[in-house]
Amino acid sequence: MASSKPQTEGSAALESPVVRRTLVLAAFLFLWMLVVALRLYDLQVIQYVRWLARGERQQQQVVEIAPQRGIIYDRNLHPLAMSLPAESIYAVPNQIPDPGMVVHLLAPILKLDPQDLLGQFKAYRSFCWIERKVSHEQAARVKALNLKGIYFEKEMKRFYPNGDLAAQVLGYVGMDNNGLAGLEYSFNSLMKGKSGRVLLETDARHHSFKSVEQPGQPGQNLVLTLDRGIQFIAERELAKIVKKYHAAGGVVIVQNPHTGDILAMASQPTFNPNDFEQAPAGATENRAVAWIYEPGSTFKLVTISAALQEGLASPDQVINCQEGQIVVAGIVTHDWHPFGDLTVAQVLMNSSEVGTIKIGLRLGEQRLYDWILRYGFDRRTDIGLASEERGLLEPPSRWSGISIADISTGQGVGITPLQLVDAYSAVANGGVMMKPRIVSATGDGSDLKPVPVSPGRRILSPQTDEEMKQMLEGVVTGGTGRPAQLDGYSAAGKTGTAQKIDSHGRYSHHHYIASFIGFAPVENPAVTILVAIDTPVGAIYGDQVAAPAFKFIAEQTLNYLSVPQDQPSQPLQVASLTHPAARRQQRLATSGNPPNNFESAEAATRPVSANAGVWSPGLSSVGTVILDDGPRVTVPDFAGQSARQVASECQALGFEAELSGLGVAVEQTPPAGAQVPLHTSVWVRLAR
Amino acid sequence: MARRLEADRVLFGAVVCLVLFGIVMVYSASAVIAAQQYHSSTYFLVRQVAWATLGLLLMVGVMNVDYRRLKNPMLIFPALGLQLILLVLVLFSSLNHDTHRWLHLGPATFQPSELSKIVLIIFLAYFLSLRKNRVNDWSETLLPVGLIAGLDVLLVLREPDFGTALALAVIVGAMLFAAGLRVAYMAYAVVASIPAIYWLVFHVGYRYRRILAFLHPYAHSLGAGFQIIQSYIAVGSGGILGVGLMEGKEKLFFLPEPQTDFIFGVIGEELGLIGGLVVLGLFGVILWRGLRAAFRAKDDFGRLLALGLTAMIVIQALVNVSVVVGLLPTKGIPLPFISYGGSSLVFSLIEMGILLNISQNTS
Repeated sequence: MASSKPQTEGSAALESPVVRRTLVLAAFLFLWMLVVALRLYDLQVIQYVRWLARGERQQQQVVEIAPQRGIIYDRNLHPLAMSLPAESIYAVPNQIPDPGMVVHLLAPILKLDPQDLLGQFKAYRSFCWIERKVSHEQAARVKALNLKGIYFEKEMKRFYPNGDLAAQVLGYVGMDNNGLAGLEYSFNSLMKGKSGRVLLETDARHHSFKSVEQPGQPGQNLVLTLDRGIQFIAERELAKIVKKYHAAGGVVIVQNPHTGDILAMASQPTFNPNDFEQAPAGATENRAVAWIYEPGSTFKLVTISAALQEGLASPDQVINCQEGQIVVAGIVTHDWHPFGDLTVAQVLMNSSEVGTIKIGLRLGEQRLYDWILRYGFDRRTDIGLASEERGLLEPPSRWSGISIADISTGQGVGITPLQLVDAYSAVANGGVMMKPRIVSATGDGSDLKPVPVSPGRRILSPQTDEEMKQMLEGVVTGGTGRPAQLDGYSAAGKTGTAQKIDSHGRYSHHHYIASFIGFAPVENPAVTILVAIDTPVGAIYGDQVAAPAFKFIAEQTLNYLSVPQDQPSQPLQVASLTHPAARRQQRLATSGNPPNNFESAEAATRPVSANAGVWSPGLSSVGTVILDDGPRVTVPDFAGQSARQVASECQALGFEAELSGLGVAVEQTPPAGAQVPLHTSVWVRLAR
Repeated sequence: MARRLEADRVLFGAVVCLVLFGIVMVYSASAVIAAQQYHSSTYFLVRQVAWATLGLLLMVGVMNVDYRRLKNPMLIFPALGLQLILLVLVLFSSLNHDTHRWLHLGPATFQPSELSKIVLIIFLAYFLSLRKNRVNDWSETLLPVGLIAGLDVLLVLREPDFGTALALAVIVGAMLFAAGLRVAYMAYAVVASIPAIYWLVFHVGYRYRRILAFLHPYAHSLGAGFQIIQSYIAVGSGGILGVGLMEGKEKLFFLPEPQTDFIFGVIGEELGLIGGLVVLGLFGVILWRGLRAAFRAKDDFGRLLALGLTAMIVIQALVNVSVVVGLLPTKGIPLPFISYGGSSLVFSLIEMGILLNISQNTS
């Protein structure tokens, strides 16, 4: 039907004026469409660069405001890293009536180049930063000028109140509030919070700008397992040893073996995260996790405990140490002393190479390798610190004939200090290895979620563990570890002196790593402590270089933790009384306290204020009582803080706070940065 | 020879594409503003999805109703009366953006001028097909049409909604032109309306500023020219491929009304020349298939109705896009199917339902 008479209807329709007119309309509309399409091509292709540039320029009107970054606390909630408000100054050049005058006034205060500043005003008509995070004093002077078109924005500046304390653990934060190293880096997304925004809008009628602030969300806080006091002890002793032996660096780790909690983690060389751009090369590396070294004799723990656990040896079994020589795979290895018959316990006590190699040979390559893995080597601990290494260990299939001798004695295997601490902590903890932990809780303000302690992993049977503990105690009481004997406490541990590999890939005869690792007290140990010194000069052996440092750190830490003594204390030895301050202090100490309690009394009477690294009670490196003139603390900048913040910070740092007025801190005496004794009164004026 | 009645699939597809695309763009354009003003970034999205669902259901429903049932004076004249009453009523509604454009029906709002558009088109198609050979007759055709259309236009102007009033006038003109109005008469009408347009433009401050801004945007770059420059920046900075969906910056308080009248700016910025041409092309498909339905319609009523509905949608789209790319001065006309807004979307889809029904009743 439709096809039978199309002509008549179709032609009639075509001739109708409606169709003709409709075609005209359609042509017009299609033409219009074409014009729009050409216009789109004009704007988006021909004029593209122009509009892109213009858009970019004005889009700087959206200013991101960094959120309040989370605080890092130590285990006792002393702040280790916090964000303080700092003023940033920006301009809306459109609103500045006389840019020349404004530049003339601002440049000297902010120490800026006037020409640069004028150029900025010309280039960015609607928004430009003048200077970010200026000092309180500079901000006050600029505010006093009361200039039109100049505005202030509160930004957060990262502040480490204890200076270089735990610097490599904490890391540091860049200008845009992103953590760049350490925990600041690995927990950045948690701590950073959500950015706020300032939108600078144009008001069409008034030709001016108004800003709409969209508040951000503060970041979460971290509570660490570190103890500020123990960290301070560890860092001070490490710094002393590194300096004394002109060493390239060193590391100290203090761990609670029952929980795996890291109480202190010190690394040398170090730096001040408040001023991280000035950090010396290598100083930002956290050696506790990022340094791979060959452990040497401290690694004999693995070989000997494995043999005991496998029933291949017992502590009293006698081993012929062959007058200090053994041939493995055609290569002669010499002991450091021509030992004859030694029991297994004596092999460890005297750190006999030949004895240990013979025990290693009993295990065989595969079993030795399996035990090394079982102790957690060649695997990251995943403690949560950035740049953690896993170590270096080849599988047995790639070992050469001599490898088993090397590896049994801790050469030819690369480990991190933290891995070794975990291994010794396992022995200290009855044979159960805990996962190391450095962050104990996260959350905002008071709503803290604890990070659970992971269940332990049994490495040694209780019986084997008890044997190992006794043997390691023997090292300290009668073997190479005698310099690590503690005053008032029993201790167990092992020395290590490892050759470093030189630039030719051979073991060096000049460069060593001297270490001592141990735990104390032997029954129910409170701490495991590792001291490892990289390339000491003048003395190279673990017992000479590292064991004394272990002793000082262990004694102070155990006293600090009020661990009951399990050994009779020796009378206080005063080797040198030439220093008048020392004499005075010693009198003071002996008159007020029984001599054998001196250290704990010292720790008890002085609140630990590890600020700015000047706190220095207790023993010096030779057992002499030498005190500084008294602890000194750096006064922080309270500017902009609330009364509550000032008071709590003063309390944490050991100041007496005197506050006057209402609002936020605007003035303080003594000024920020002054070094003052503890318990000094700090006067702070608040105003709205 | 029975012929299966089948609606135009191409037309149907183009409309659905535009609606779905619109939902995506409304979300992209409004998420930040919605989060700021309503504390929920999906505030506009959820409503647009609801309206689109309702609109598409209505479109499919209307598609299955024979359009010739609309050719009924018992339907058309009451509808004309109703839309006039609503246009009067809306003048007494509460102010929104300094205008009375919306009637509040419980939680929903409704723009009576959208109803007026569709009723006026149906009326003209009916009336002009009745007066087929007397279109140029003053008393029989032009006076009644002029009275009814003029009343509608004046009432919409009172809201005030200059853009919609102009759209109504243009669509009446287009349908009269198609129905065979003498060109001379059209010229008279244009000349006669010049004083009125002059008065409307130069005595209403914001319109005058808009015209000035259109002619010299840079002289008013912080005032009325702001919108035009922002629109140029949005479209221009998109380039050929655009900055990417959701990545546009101009919608962040620079571009005025990014989810409604200036949504094409967001499309231009985020999807570039490609995205803009696709949208334009889809409207081109509607124009092509709509006119195809008009040519194939069995009667003059269908022919004029299809033409009016097609022209209505396409002219609105072209006006909206022309404003965004700076070819016309600013006026408040939404981009059909894409701009956020319930009344416009639902009525546009109903109009497409009628058009689709015409497309399946071909000779």
